[in-house]
This record gives sequence, C-alpha cells and structure tokens, in this order.
Amino acid sequence: MNGVRLQKTPSKASRWGRTLGEWPAALFFLLPTVAVLGTFNFYPALSSLYLSLFEWNGLSPTREFVGLANYSRLLASGEFWNSLRVTLLYAGGVTLLALALGMGVAVLLNQPSRGQALYRVLYFLPVITPTVASGVVWKYLFDPTQGVVNRGLAGVGLQGPAWLSDPSWALAAVIVVGVWKRVGFNLVVYLAALQGIPRAYYEAAQLDGAGPWQQFRHITLPLLAPTTFFLVVTALIDAFQVFDLVYVMTSGGPLGSTDVLGYYLYRQAFRYSELGFASAVAYVMFALIFAVTVIQFRLTRGGQGDG
Amino acid sequence: MQAHWLKAIVTMTVALLSLGTAQKLTFWHYWDGANGQVLQGLIERYQKEHPGVTIESVFVPGGELLTKLQTAITAKQTPSMAISDLVAMPLLTQSGALSPLDDFIRQSNLNLADYFPGPLVYGLYQGKRYSLPVSASNLGLFWNKNLFRAAGLDPNRPPRNWDELLRFARQIKAKTGKWGIELFTQGGEGTTWQTQVYFWGAGAEFLNANNTAPAFNSPQGVRALQFLVDLVQKEKVAPVAPWGLFGRGEAAMVMDGSWMTQFFPQQVNFELGAAPFPYPAGGHPATNMGGEQIFIFQNADAASAKAAWDFINWFSSTPVQVEWDRGTGFLPVRRSVANDPAYRAWVSNARPLMRPFVDSMAFARPRPPVARYPQISDIFAKYVQEALLGRLSPKEALDRAAQEVTPLLR
Repeated sequence: MNGVRLQKTPSKASRWGRTLGEWPAALFFLLPTVAVLGTFNFYPALSSLYLSLFEWNGLSPTREFVGLANYSRLLASGEFWNSLRVTLLYAGGVTLLALALGMGVAVLLNQPSRGQALYRVLYFLPVITPTVASGVVWKYLFDPTQGVVNRGLAGVGLQGPAWLSDPSWALAAVIVVGVWKRVGFNLVVYLAALQGIPRAYYEAAQLDGAGPWQQFRHITLPLLAPTTFFLVVTALIDAFQVFDLVYVMTSGGPLGSTDVLGYYLYRQAFRYSELGFASAVAYVMFALIFAVTVIQFRLTRGGQGDG
Repeated sequence: MQAHWLKAIVTMTVALLSLGTAQKLTFWHYWDGANGQVLQGLIERYQKEHPGVTIESVFVPGGELLTKLQTAITAKQTPSMAISDLVAMPLLTQSGALSPLDDFIRQSNLNLADYFPGPLVYGLYQGKRYSLPVSASNLGLFWNKNLFRAAGLDPNRPPRNWDELLRFARQIKAKTGKWGIELFTQGGEGTTWQTQVYFWGAGAEFLNANNTAPAFNSPQGVRALQFLVDLVQKEKVAPVAPWGLFGRGEAAMVMDGSWMTQFFPQQVNFELGAAPFPYPAGGHPATNMGGEQIFIFQNADAASAKAAWDFINWFSSTPVQVEWDRGTGFLPVRRSVANDPAYRAWVSNARPLMRPFVDSMAFARPRPPVARYPQISDIFAKYVQEALLGRLSPKEALDRAAQEVTPLLR
C-alpha cells in the first residue's frame, strides 16, 4: 500500500475490488459458459476417463473394475494397430494431397480472370456438402461395373479395380473423397493469404529476371508457409477424427483396410457394447490429437504463426 | 328430465371410476411407415376394447433404440414395455432389467408349443423366459426367370441342392455372360448370416451346444466354405463386388430376406421366383432368421406389469398376429398363424412369393444368443472374406477365426 495515493476516498466497492481484482465480475460473466461446457464437455470427458478403467457393456447392473487392463488390451490388439496405421495413412494422404491441390488451384485462381467467383463456389461446394450424402454418391461413382470412375477408365482403355471391395484400393478411394471435401477449404484460405502478398515483390523479381516458377519458389511458397502450417495442423486433427465417410462408404472394410480409429471406436462402443474399452480407445485418440496440437504450438511459438 | 340427470350422473361416475383405475403404459418400438400405422391401429382398437388402459407408443429410430434402452436402464427410467431386434436380446436378458414372463405365460395359458422353435431361443436366460417373439423374417432363394430362360433353363424350376445350384450357375454364366449367383461379400453381419445358412445346410454348427466355444471350423464347415470359395475362385460364377447385382439383372440368383418379397417386385424389371434355399445332398434344409421380441421392464408395479402383459398376450394371440403379419409382411412366429386359412389365402393371392419363406419358418435357426455375438460375427465375416479373396484356405481361415472367437465366449 505504500506510495499509493488515491485521489478520492475509496468507495466500498473499489476497496473490495482491490483485494479480489476483477475475479467476481469475470466469474459471473463466465458462469453460463462454464455451466454449459462443464455439463456437456468436461463432465462427460471425465466420466469417460473413469469408465475406461471398467469393463461394462452398458446394460449389466455391475461394472467390473479392471484398472488399466483396457489400455493394455488395446495396445496388444492387432486391430488397434491396424486402425492406427490406416488413420495415419488416411490423415497423411488427405493432408498432403489436399494441400498441394489447394495451393495449386489457389495460385491459378489468383490471376484476375472472368468467372473467378464461380470457380471459388464450385471448389467450395464439397466442403459444405454433408459428408454422408457425399459418401453415398461417391459409393455409386466407385461401383466396379456401373460406376462413373471405372467407366471413365474403361474409356481410355484401363480396367479399374473393384475400389471399395478390394482391400488394396478401398482406402485410396476413401482418401480421394476426403481430399475432394478438403481442397475447397484449403483453396479459400490460400487465396486469402495470396491476396496479402504485396505485388511489389513480384514486380521486383521480374525486374531481376525471375521466371514464374522462380517467383513461386522464392516468393509465394515461403510467404505462404505460416498458412501452410495452419492448414496442415487443422487438416491432421480433422482427418484423425474421420468417421462418417468410412461409416457410409465401407464400414471399415474390406478386411479392416479402411478401419480408421473413429470407426474402430464406434464399433467397440455401439456394435460390441464394450463401453469401458471404447472409452480407453477414445482417450488414446485424445492423447494422439493432443500431441499433434502441442507440437504445433511448439513449432509456431504459441500460435504466433511465423512458421 | 330425471332420466337425463341420472344418465349424466352415471356417466360421470363411470368416468371417475375409470380415472381411478386408469393404466397408462408406454411402449418403445422402432416400427415406422406402414408397420407403424398397423401397430397404431391395433393399439387404438385395444384401447377401445379395454377402457381404462392407454398405451403411449413411442417411436425410436431403429439404430438408436438399444442405446436409448441402455440409457433408460442406467437411469431407471424405463418404459413399461419395448421391443428389440433379436440380436440385442442376450444383452437385454442379462441386464437384470427385464421382468420374467413365466408366471404370466402360465396364468394366461399361452401355448409356447405353438411357436416355431427358432425365435423362442432368444428370450431364454438361465432357465427363465424374458421375451416373446412378435415378428420374424428369414432368408431364401430368389431367382431371375428371364435369365433362366435365356440360359435354356426351366424358368419355373429353382435349384433344389448345391449340385443343381452350381450347374445352373455355370450354365447361366456360359450362356448369358451374367453372374450365376450373388453372394454378400461386404463383410459384417450381412456376410455372416448368409454364410451360416450354407454351414447349417452342410450340417455344421456355428458354436457348440452350450455356446461356450466355436464349432464352425468342423469338416462340415470347411466343406461349406470351400463351396462358396469355389463359386468365386474356381468356377467364377459369383463375384466379390458391392451388393445389388441381382436387382440390376446382373446375377441370376441371390439369397435374400423375406422382406424383399415386398421390395423386389417394385424394383426389378424381370420375372421373379422365390424358393427355400437349397442345401447339399445329405444335408438339411436350413435358413437364418431375424425379427423382434417384446418384453416388460422390472421397475413396473404389479398392476402395470399385469396391464402390459395383458396387451402382450392380446398382441400375441393368433387372430391379432394374423392381422399384424398381413399388414406388415412379417413372417408368422406361431404355427397357428402360418396355418390359418385366411392367412394362407392372403399369401397365395396377394403375396405368392412369400409362400416359401412362410414354409421355411419350420427350419429357421437362431444365431447363437450370446452377448458378444456382434464381435464374433465380425470376426467370422472377416475370415470368410479372406477365404473368398483367396488369401487363406477355407480350413486355415476358419481355424484362425475360431482362435479369435474362443476368448470372447469365456
């Protein structure tokens, strides 16, 4: 209190306020959010953690405490490792392809041309199309004999595979749809970033005799790096949680070739009624996604975005 | 004047009395569309015939009913009664939340011997009966008469055994270039329950007699799977492809459900035949079955449990079941319904394709009523796929499946 000279006699409220700071008011305003998040996010998440220590089928009157047995069973399960592998393949495939395509199309669309708005809409449509509807339509497109994809390939003299019925091709087919749904989003974000690069850089480069490829390589690409980083992380987190696409297109099959973690979790919980085990799966998924997020924060120094 | 007053007083009294004894029952089910309307009609009639009982039927979409029941049981907020798909019955009977029906069945003299044996298996747990079958469906053979004609086969003669099935399939492939038969190769329960029909036909069992160990990797089982693998790999009369070839006229035969007798005629542009599914020489006629079971929850007080049972007893009675099956196209669960002259006449006139399915109820078999059946089914289907794709021999595939299934039955 030394040296603090107040102009006015402090009122009751401000004296009280000095001891507690702005906490009461802040808490009061946070209350609705805390209540909603607590009820619908934190409480279920913690219950799920608790449940992952039990064996319970959701119906039996008793829950059997098994400690960490669900986790050790999970790590010993070949199906889990297969799901992890499939998820990484899917996430890696969708992220890289959608990134490359999104950037390529964004650079092409960044030139002033007629119908630019129309193209943007067209590319963005898949993003806002419901996943289930997309999955159903693509399932038809991938039909081995009647589908557009194989008929197109037959048109150029190639015999397409049985896509969704073939363990070697089913995941590729699902990745294609995942990319198709993701490209539009990447494109729109990249376009916004491209508009932020000053024209002067390119003009200077042209004066120095740089060709279009060199301009792209030395100006566009480095200046898009923060955006790229943001898109990689969001795409990975998104792809890690894929479920609906797999549910509609392949049900994890054939032979587990598209059995992503999200679908594996769904099977354990809602087909097999293994609620304790499924909770353990959910927490392992949470740990993986959390790790990706932490790495992102480290690399971007807390989201400062200077890559 | 006096008479008017008297009438009013009597009406009031009756109304008040019925209020006092009013029974309000809730009934959860997933019958929608036409089936839901038939149910609603029956419930309204029941309420008219039993003043003082109101039944509130709550529709829950099929995939959500079990989850909703789980939540209700955990929260002790169960309805008076509900139905479930029979595959989920083992979980429910073992939950301790259902009320045993044995005393009710005795008191009402409900004749269980009149029921087909298959559907009755699901309600039993530790010697007590917790549910009754109220609907059934099963699998049979559909064939495309146009393709049979084009291949030079008698369009009105379905294959009666596996040898004929294979011979017809070969001839169709050779003469028309179309597939002989379509198998469900996409895995999961769809693959398992079709494959079981071939296994049972060949004399193989799926699990042992008390459902504690797998039995499908027997010589009979290997023989059945070998037959399917040969259709795909050696004979090339069946493809590994998405489901739907038969409906598009690209395959001449298919194993499909009794419910398709309603849908195929609207969907296909060829002449259809239906028959019980063929089995190998020296084997047994067999088919798989689905359907629903009805049950009462524990937490009801004695009066409302009794009221719920009275409705179930009425709903299960032969005349009501005849009406129910005619309205919905479900198969009978009772012999007296299957043999009812009015029902038989309706099948012959309105649904001739359903006749073989009704006849197959006598040998329709239940999938083992074990709680972990969905997992077991997925494992089995996965190895059937491995064999169909030629990655494992039938024997090896079934042995590996048995190895994975064994710990789940302990």
